[in-house]
Amino acid sequence: MPVAASAIYFLNLRGDVLINRLYRDDVGGNMVDAFRTHIMQTKELGTCPVRQIGGCSFFYMRISNVYIVIVVSSNANVACAFKFVVEAVALFKSYFGGAFDEDAIRNNFVLIYELLDEIMDFGYPQNLSPEILKLYITQEGVRSPFSSKPTDRPVPNATLQVTGAVGWRREGLVYKKNEVFLDIVESVNLLMSSKGSVLRCDVTGKILMKCFLSGMPDLKLGLNDKIGLEKESQLKSRPTKSGKTIELDDVTFHQCVNLTRFNSEKTVSFVPPDGEFELMKYRITEGVNLPFRVLPTIKELGRTRMEVNVKIKSVFGAKMFALGVVIKIPVPKQTAKTSFQVTSGRAKYNASIDCLVWKIRKFPGQTEPTMSAEVELISTMAEKKSWTRPPIQMEFQVPMFTASGLRVRFLKVWEKSGYNTVEWVRYITKAGSYEISLMSRANGNPPFLAKVELDEFRFLQS
Amino acid sequence: MAPPAQAHRSPSPSQPSGKGEVSDLKSQLRQLAGSRAPGIDDSKRELFKKVISYMTIGIDVSAVFGEMVMCSATSDIVLKKMCYLYVGNYAKVNPDLALLTINFLQRDCKDEDPMIRGLALRSLCSLRVANLVEYLVGPLGLGLKDNNSYVRTVAVIGVLKLYHISAPTCIDADFPPTLKHLMLNDPDPQVVANCLSALQEIWSLEASTSEEASREREALISKPVIYYLLNRIKEFSEWAQCLVLELVAKYVPLDSNEIFDIMNLLEDRLQHANGAVVLSTIKVFLHLTLSMTDVHQQVYERIKAPLLTLVSSGSPEQSYAVLSHLHILVMRAPFIFASDYKHFYCQYNEPSYVKKLKLEMLTAVANESNTYEIVTELCEYAANVDIPIARESIRAVGKIALQQYDVNAIVDRLLQFLEMEKDYVTAEALVLVKDLLRKYPQWSHDCIAVVGSISSQNVQEPKAKAALIWMLGEYSQDMQDAPYILESLTENWEEEPSAEVRLHLLTAVMKCFFKRPPETQKVLGAALAAGLADFHQDVHDRALFYYRLLQYNVSVAERVVNPPKQAVSVFADTQSSEIKDRIFDEFNSLSVVYQKPSYMFTDKDYRGPFEFSDELGNLSIAAESADNVVPAQGVEANDKDLLLSTSEKEEIRGATFNVSGYSAPLYDSSAASVQSELAIISSTSAGSAPSSSLAIDDLLGLGLSAAPAPEPASVPPSLKLNSKAILDPGTFQQKWRQLPISLSQEFSLSPEGVAALTTPQALLWHMQGHSIHCIASGGHSPNFKFFFFAQKAEESSNFLVECIINTSSAKAQVKIKADDQSTSQAFSDVFQSALSKFSV
Repeated sequence: MPVAASAIYFLNLRGDVLINRLYRDDVGGNMVDAFRTHIMQTKELGTCPVRQIGGCSFFYMRISNVYIVIVVSSNANVACAFKFVVEAVALFKSYFGGAFDEDAIRNNFVLIYELLDEIMDFGYPQNLSPEILKLYITQEGVRSPFSSKPTDRPVPNATLQVTGAVGWRREGLVYKKNEVFLDIVESVNLLMSSKGSVLRCDVTGKILMKCFLSGMPDLKLGLNDKIGLEKESQLKSRPTKSGKTIELDDVTFHQCVNLTRFNSEKTVSFVPPDGEFELMKYRITEGVNLPFRVLPTIKELGRTRMEVNVKIKSVFGAKMFALGVVIKIPVPKQTAKTSFQVTSGRAKYNASIDCLVWKIRKFPGQTEPTMSAEVELISTMAEKKSWTRPPIQMEFQVPMFTASGLRVRFLKVWEKSGYNTVEWVRYITKAGSYEISLMSRANGNPPFLAKVELDEFRFLQS
Repeated sequence: MAPPAQAHRSPSPSQPSGKGEVSDLKSQLRQLAGSRAPGIDDSKRELFKKVISYMTIGIDVSAVFGEMVMCSATSDIVLKKMCYLYVGNYAKVNPDLALLTINFLQRDCKDEDPMIRGLALRSLCSLRVANLVEYLVGPLGLGLKDNNSYVRTVAVIGVLKLYHISAPTCIDADFPPTLKHLMLNDPDPQVVANCLSALQEIWSLEASTSEEASREREALISKPVIYYLLNRIKEFSEWAQCLVLELVAKYVPLDSNEIFDIMNLLEDRLQHANGAVVLSTIKVFLHLTLSMTDVHQQVYERIKAPLLTLVSSGSPEQSYAVLSHLHILVMRAPFIFASDYKHFYCQYNEPSYVKKLKLEMLTAVANESNTYEIVTELCEYAANVDIPIARESIRAVGKIALQQYDVNAIVDRLLQFLEMEKDYVTAEALVLVKDLLRKYPQWSHDCIAVVGSISSQNVQEPKAKAALIWMLGEYSQDMQDAPYILESLTENWEEEPSAEVRLHLLTAVMKCFFKRPPETQKVLGAALAAGLADFHQDVHDRALFYYRLLQYNVSVAERVVNPPKQAVSVFADTQSSEIKDRIFDEFNSLSVVYQKPSYMFTDKDYRGPFEFSDELGNLSIAAESADNVVPAQGVEANDKDLLLSTSEKEEIRGATFNVSGYSAPLYDSSAASVQSELAIISSTSAGSAPSSSLAIDDLLGLGLSAAPAPEPASVPPSLKLNSKAILDPGTFQQKWRQLPISLSQEFSLSPEGVAALTTPQALLWHMQGHSIHCIASGGHSPNFKFFFFAQKAEESSNFLVECIINTSSAKAQVKIKADDQSTSQAFSDVFQSALSKFSV
């Protein structure tokens, strides 16, 4: 039996039903009670997003202060169900213009019912494309006064397109100024040992696109990835240009990209949807440029005192700078008093997360600020359990820097009317889970003598 | 939709009680119904919204049904939709009123706007009132032929809805063939996809009764249909692609060229942004290449990157769904993922369900080249704040050690855990060190030194304490303090809550006594005395047994209690490969997440005491009683090596079932009638019964002449049965259902046998002496019914037997089912000879 959802529920954190839609009769009406008593009110809530109660399986997801629960009675396709929820939420957001939370649902429940009817019929997913649905679900969501999106949507009676093959773009769009915005957003995930060797590192990136183009344009995007460049030079029988090329581990594309052409010619060509969308996602594990290196030293001086020294080195170009840098250095729960010395930014102790929080609003490249802190602990006799030393965590954004080294080489727009377009490209690198372990000295001696200490160690480009 | 049941429950405090509001609404709606004033639609909208919102929070607003229908005469599409929603919700409980709506819905089905036609048709089919189906056929027929594709997509699903309300109406109207025609010819991909969903459901359900339907179902996975769908795959929406790919995975191509064609065609799907499409494609690839080992392995290499990308993107829930699938692949082919171990490192903030899977994968991919890094990483997790994960990671280290990689370094790590002075770390590490010593006795010296320094006062968990005591007994000659530690433990006998620990203590004291008699003698006396006075039957029996054994002959006792041990080479795998294959067949479904095949959670028979009932009250009671049962069963399971007296065991069994209200599993329909009389042996006791009685056999077989062991001579050499066969009732049931009857015979019973058969138990123990085990029995004189099973000695091939004995005619009717049909005659002979010896 394929993926047929029996019911979908939207609950708030107390378990009140905000919206419920039963698609099939094979589950009882009190499913939501079963969910409340056996999942929400127990410790099970955080343990697994897929649970079985009686003959039914529950898939649930928390999005802001709302639980979305899908109930199925058969051996359903889990990945599909979760993806459906994610897509549905994206759709709702595009209707409400931003936030998706309890209030938004309460304010728009009639609209949500309408949409739930269209996106799923008898448990089978139907059309979830906002572009198309907006043609015929005409009731505009209640937008908050702050979002200033243009609401100049013409509403032609275009049911023909409702299920059409090029489902993501409608014809007859006209813009005075044809513009394309590309955002390359990368997040770096890092796990580094306290000695500075990289235990794990990867970059997940996405290319977000905002299109304001008239007509039915054909776009072609060129990147500096190795395979694409090689293929191009093959086709044009011309040697590969020198310059940094990068190797993408894996790529996925928005449904508008012609995958056959990507596989044969390695070019990304597509007819874009109107407005904002995620063109592609990629992942890189080799040759990552880490924007920051963190060197912590933590000394426990007896039972009641600790010395924390952290040095951070920014390893990107001197003309660039990072924004919103936050370094969270964990300290034991029984911290009583702290004093700081910082060469840049501000530091303070945040007792609710048991961390020293060091913030640097603007962090120029090629600099090396330090923080040293003295931490006094309450001495507790009962405290036999030693401190678990969670990792240091770091947040940052570095504009115009890509950890992968990815660059957009060209973006060609071709439309039969031959208009000129303006293209804008932005790069930004953010911290994903950027962690520096403090663990290896937990017992005073290193666990296992480091056998291949520098195996993955990589100094950054100068 | 709010089911009416909800309305009767007291709503939560923030919600209005409803009554007054509903009657208000009613009068307001009535005013509006007749009015044609301008702007009336806006006020209607507000009112309708109120009705719908009450409906959502569970207030019964069915009282305004008539008014809602009256107000529905409007051209406002939003109003119409709200009205449809309302009607769909309450029609089922108000079938008479639903008739009122038929008129306006049928009218709307002929509206000139395709949107209205579609909406009306959908609502019409959602009424779910059986006696209104006659009104559906006409509009559905027109809908399927509508020139607008939106209406057609709705109509196709409408046919499926009709089928679920009234299958004969749907079949009689000849809708399935129409759908098939549409599926193969409609220009709109969504119509095609919906046809496919509908036909799959209809024909699967019909297949049990109609041969034609099962042929049609097979035809869906025939070459022309599959190729037709594959050629259009790019037109389909992402969801429909999943559907098609799921179907393609069932297709069996003729030759390898076809396989490669399909894979080449679908390869670009691996780059799709929708993870569900990628997983479905992976399923197709894996299933197509199952028989081609080389290519299958290449497929693994090819799908690795997309899977790892999916895991690292999206919400934790999505990546969990993908990770579960990655998990099953890693478990099947760990060597292929060995170099990717770093992807399975846990991040600090990840939810624990993700971490748990990652730990298992790290354990699986460990090999000579990466063990070092993996163990280092795992050791870091041991200090994790999340205690269950810390425990898991210590266990993972132990598993890797048992896999034989780099044991040297790992033992050091485990010993360091013991020194970390965290209760749970010590506890887990102790259990692991015990397992390690059973496999690598050569490490005993290093371990003993550390274990000896652990204070038993700091170890509280039964499992860990039992492990510590086991080591104290086993290595008492190397541990200076062993007798004295055991002494202090024995002194606290009364305070020890766990029977398992007390049992281990008895045995450990015995072992210690054989090695260091002068120091231990006093302790042994105290331990045996405490054991004999113990209120727990098993502890009491074991103490008594030891006592008599010692009285009989000390050297024999030593050979029984402390024989030379062989190192354990492999620890038993928990899941059979058959089940693993079943799960793999159901790739990309819930089975993978639950790690069990779908029949275990969709078949009613398998759900056990947690059966979901519509009464919420029942549900929670059932849940509570299930909770109560668990400890009882847990104790039984823990004490697998116990010696239980038979009468004792029957009592426990009875008690277990009385508490849980567990309904006896059905073996087949004929068994159902005598079911109430059957004394069912639960899975735990079925597991322990044979092994416990065999423990006696083994022990006694060592040379005690007092009670001779049952003669194995009765088993003819042609077929050797496994005397320790174990089969759980679930598997038995499943096999009984699946296997055909290979032999059905009637045997005669000897007069002595008839005389001895006063209770089912008598035969049960007799047959067990012949390695034929009973899984369920019941009945009173003169009719008895038994279910037996046996396993071949060399392989895990099972025989299942249903045996009905009538003592007045002295006949036994026997039905035998076998995994290996060719040996069923041989087994039948064994069975007959065993039966004929009963009480002779």
